[in-house]
Amino acid sequence: MIPTIEASPAEIYDIELEHSLLAANAELARKNQELLDQHGITAIDIMGAIGSGKTTLISKLAGKLSDQLGLAVLNGDATTADDVAVIAEAGAQVVQLATVNGCHLDANLVGKALKRLNLEEVNLILIENIGNLICPAEFPLGSRSRIVVVSVTEGPYMVKKHPHMFLGADVVVINKVDLAEAMGVKVDDLKADVHKLKPDIRVIVTSCRTGQGIDEVASVVAPQPSV
Amino acid sequence: MHELSIAATIVESVLEVVSTRGISDVRTVRLAVGELTCVQHEQLRFCYESLAGQTEIKGSALEIELVPAEVKCPHCEYEGAPRYWDEALAAELVPTLQCPQCGKGTEAVRGHECAIRSIQYAS
Repeated sequence: MIPTIEASPAEIYDIELEHSLLAANAELARKNQELLDQHGITAIDIMGAIGSGKTTLISKLAGKLSDQLGLAVLNGDATTADDVAVIAEAGAQVVQLATVNGCHLDANLVGKALKRLNLEEVNLILIENIGNLICPAEFPLGSRSRIVVVSVTEGPYMVKKHPHMFLGADVVVINKVDLAEAMGVKVDDLKADVHKLKPDIRVIVTSCRTGQGIDEVASVVAPQPSV
Repeated sequence: MHELSIAATIVESVLEVVSTRGISDVRTVRLAVGELTCVQHEQLRFCYESLAGQTEIKGSALEIELVPAEVKCPHCEYEGAPRYWDEALAAELVPTLQCPQCGKGTEAVRGHECAIRSIQYAS
């Protein structure tokens, strides 16, 4: 046996700390929230897997909402020039956030993006997170609520596979339901899975192609009229 | 791989403690990670060792203590362990926010922590 010399317990010391590893981001998120509140702006964080339809949903919402209010979109995901054109055409300010290889947005990046917007002209900010159903969950951005978009084309097990993302969400959008039959996915089963995790959560069934449910999402994201 | 950014924060924080308190020979860094976070312990340990290995805390170990989730129900006043979802396709049981007593929505009161609890060093 190889002899090992261990320091005796008397020579080992402990430093007790209570140092939160997510505190720095949480603090920046709080600052973003404060800045948004000062300007009366509502921000919504939109999360979901690659290909779930986040960008298309945002461009549909932009089409519906940008006549009524000042809309800005922060695009964290790789977005094609076509998507940006649609969103910008609808009258929204667009800022692209490049995380390079990062797997989630963070409050720091969003804070920088807010500086690029003319906040006086904005009432609603839609933040498109990185296409990822795991990492963004731990990084609040300062938004009023978080929407998770899941589409039937991702198969029947997305909720069962990524429960954490749904635990932290305020609204779930089940998208591309016009393809549910072709995919052999039962929308009610997906809904039931979500409600097993979080019974009170609002689930909205949409199809960006047929327009189903888009009005309902628009009413959820639009700032509540001040009393 | 958000574990990498968390591991980088750990290494940075420990190095700061090392320099401000003038200690050396860090043996163990103890973390508390809540059950409701989606932090993979094995990946976090691997990222920590890779990053710490390039610094003066090379060779120190990361010990992760799992903090169990606790929920509180505003409907029936239940307070305690959450209901677990055994149909989830995960390696371990998945905590839910469904009340084990009345089935309605609960709020998490514990399980979101991700913090350094202590740093052990030899002198």
